[in-house]
Amino acid sequence: MNIQDNYIKNKKNIFFSENKDIETYREKLINVFESDRLDKKNNESLKNINLKNFIDFNYKYLISEETSVINNNQENSYSIVSVNGQCSSFKDDKIEITKILDEDYNDFSKNDTIENNDHFVNLNSLFLNSGFKIVIKKNNNIKIKISNIITDDDLTIFQKNNYICEEGSSLNLIEEYENKNNSTLNLLNVIKLEKNSQLKHFLIQDNSSNHNLIITSHSTCKKDSNYTQKVYNFSEGYVRNFHYSELIEANSEADLQGIFFLKDNNTSNNKTFVKHLAEDCKSNQVYKGILKDRSKATYFSNTHVDQVAKKTEGYQLSKGILLSDNASYFSKPELKIYADDVKCSHGSTIGPIDENAIFYLRSRGMSRIAATKILISSFINEELSSIDNEQMSEIIQKKLVRYLSKVK
Amino acid sequence: MNSETLNTLNTYTKNKYKYGFVTEIDDEKPKKGLNEDTIKFISLKKNEPDWMLEWRLKAYSKWKKMKEPKWANLSFPEIDYQDIYYYSAPKGFEKKPKDLSEVDPKLIETYNKLGIPLEEQKVLAGVAVDVVFDSVSVATTYKGELEKLGIIFCSIGEAIQKYPDLIKKYLGSVIPPGDHSFSALNSAVFTDGSFVYIPEGVKCPMELSTYFRINAENTGQFERTLIIADKGSYVSYLEGCTAPKRDDNQLHAANVELIALEDAEIKYSTVQNWYPGDEDGKGGIYNFVTKRGLCAGKNSKISWTQVETGSAITWKYPSCILKGDNSIGEFYSVAITNNFQQADTGTKMSHIGKNTKSKIISKGISLGKSQNTYRGEVSFLRKADKARNYTQCDSLLVGNQCGAHTVPYIDSKNNTAVIEHEASTSKINEDQLYYCRQRGLSHEEAVSLIVNGFCKQVLQELPMEFAVEAQKLVSISLEGSVG
Repeated sequence: MNIQDNYIKNKKNIFFSENKDIETYREKLINVFESDRLDKKNNESLKNINLKNFIDFNYKYLISEETSVINNNQENSYSIVSVNGQCSSFKDDKIEITKILDEDYNDFSKNDTIENNDHFVNLNSLFLNSGFKIVIKKNNNIKIKISNIITDDDLTIFQKNNYICEEGSSLNLIEEYENKNNSTLNLLNVIKLEKNSQLKHFLIQDNSSNHNLIITSHSTCKKDSNYTQKVYNFSEGYVRNFHYSELIEANSEADLQGIFFLKDNNTSNNKTFVKHLAEDCKSNQVYKGILKDRSKATYFSNTHVDQVAKKTEGYQLSKGILLSDNASYFSKPELKIYADDVKCSHGSTIGPIDENAIFYLRSRGMSRIAATKILISSFINEELSSIDNEQMSEIIQKKLVRYLSKVK
Repeated sequence: MNSETLNTLNTYTKNKYKYGFVTEIDDEKPKKGLNEDTIKFISLKKNEPDWMLEWRLKAYSKWKKMKEPKWANLSFPEIDYQDIYYYSAPKGFEKKPKDLSEVDPKLIETYNKLGIPLEEQKVLAGVAVDVVFDSVSVATTYKGELEKLGIIFCSIGEAIQKYPDLIKKYLGSVIPPGDHSFSALNSAVFTDGSFVYIPEGVKCPMELSTYFRINAENTGQFERTLIIADKGSYVSYLEGCTAPKRDDNQLHAANVELIALEDAEIKYSTVQNWYPGDEDGKGGIYNFVTKRGLCAGKNSKISWTQVETGSAITWKYPSCILKGDNSIGEFYSVAITNNFQQADTGTKMSHIGKNTKSKIISKGISLGKSQNTYRGEVSFLRKADKARNYTQCDSLLVGNQCGAHTVPYIDSKNNTAVIEHEASTSKINEDQLYYCRQRGLSHEEAVSLIVNGFCKQVLQELPMEFAVEAQKLVSISLEGSVG
């Protein structure tokens, strides 16, 4: 089915289809997909995957009868179970959870540079059928854990979540994605950090092999704010992590990190994009990957420094370990710098496990497999040891052990 | 940036292009524009055999179907291919002069102004020079000595006549005419260039050198250079360019192919100083160059060194295909952009054979309102066991209106290959500057010293004959705008 028919057929299930402005915009997007000029060859979001599989899909969405749960188990700590992308409303003096509204639609969805380049965000804008908005009120220090659950097979969920951290607030956000159904989750997170706010965002991804997980996030940081994101990808299915960050006011910071463990025929596409639009900002982009069997990964990182962004510090690092002959890793660490008073650097390495280190361990009586496992653990140790949440650290350790048990 | 820097910037940016003069010689041109007749005219003028004309026409038919590659970080008005002369030769050059004394004195004078007096060079430098003046080789010196060793060093036109077998075998083998639109264009209308063949086991005793020069207005220069190093041979080739001042943008689309067989080594050095346009960004050369080397045999080596200071637009990626086992590819580059210049340059290292190694050192310096991009691809194919790459690209920004960009593409499909890439971007270190000034250097001298140190890793790779000129060029380019 072509994309237009698909949209018209399912219109009643899709958010904001009565809004005229949004409808006109969606028509424009459909035209982008239908036009011959759709550039599939040079598009970063499409490397190693076939866009056709994502455009010709069977749309299926159900509002589940299982209700989502919001549980205030400790003071300042909430756990949320989001079912099929939905979450019921909630309000207290610290946080407020509501449905997304028409006016939230425009955030990031309508972005000129994305329109032509990121087809998955466009698909999200077209078929949007779920999502919620969380506001952290002024000067509160909050912990939230969100478990994303999909109830039925073959669902296609297009979700948009908005997070707003008000002035002086601080949020520790853990998101878990563990889905075993043959479904697709296309999630767009739009994050706004007001003055002097802080967000630590952890994403733990562990999907079964027939599930597609497409996560895009866009964060904007105002004065003195700080956004830290850590992605842990243990999935067996296709995962896409595209994270855009804009530093719009002075002295803000963005730190985008990720590690991924791939095996079998799995593919993972990753991208981080930091735009420095104000003075004295800092950014850091670090991705590490371990690939075995016939897995493929791409990592695009981009640091853009605007002319006004003086005293910028921007660092990028990409590291990959290939454990098999048939694995492949593509990285493109890009720097675009239009200001002169900056310190920017990037580094990228791809290679096998260091034979000298293996030799050292083996000469001390270790088997080759044990030595390999130790070296892989040490490769990502920095990322794991920086987790300050004990519960989460345990979860991740378990998943790592599971991955390592398959290393031969 | 402090006010002193700005002042010096302003004083020196007004430096005029030293080589901006035009020699008035009657031209013999076909009509403007590109069609089959133009190609037939060129082929006829060059007295080429039929197979060559066929080859050209095939390339032309491919070009017609192609679009210009658009991925580079460059902006320029669309090129009107029908508004260019594709062939221009000074009159009376169908028959070549045998000696320098037979050459038009006006031409000789032009070269003297450029600072390459042929007469002097013959004696002093010991360099054989194949001078190209608007498409026709003016004089080739030192031929005799090279002939004794069996080395062929002549214009490509001559090679087509004399060594058709070599040309048929190698022309287009590294850069197929259908590779992209500029290579197809060049293959269709190339007029001159150099041909070098080094026989088995011969180490070329001198640096081979060419000076290219665009003279007539609206004449695209389409060079084709082919260098073949047979088993166990060695050659070092120098190429330098300057072009006179013009207001219209001129198109330059050269193709350079290098082939190194078993145990052979080719060193290719370029100093590019085409007219970059004036301080308002008017005029200047459009330089779309395809340079590619093939390390065909085991243990072969190809090394590119380039100093890019000119051209309004530079689009240039000297690359190496490392096919033979144990082969080595190297790329050293200094690119300086000023005023409204745009440079998108870098390299491509394709590792195919086992134990192949490559090294990339790139230094970019942006001044004024220019944009300087490094774009490089390193790829390890499945069979490239134990391949190794090291890449370092550093950028220096002077002034707050310019841009420096780094776009590396890194692709590994082999789990024994090791790849390392690092890059940094910064402005001139204030501490270093302070240290130099404290020891009595002027602000400008200090900057010049620091920048020269920044480029040293690349400049030291140049052969002696070139190193001096290159250093001069770097400081001339800097003189303009570094405070």
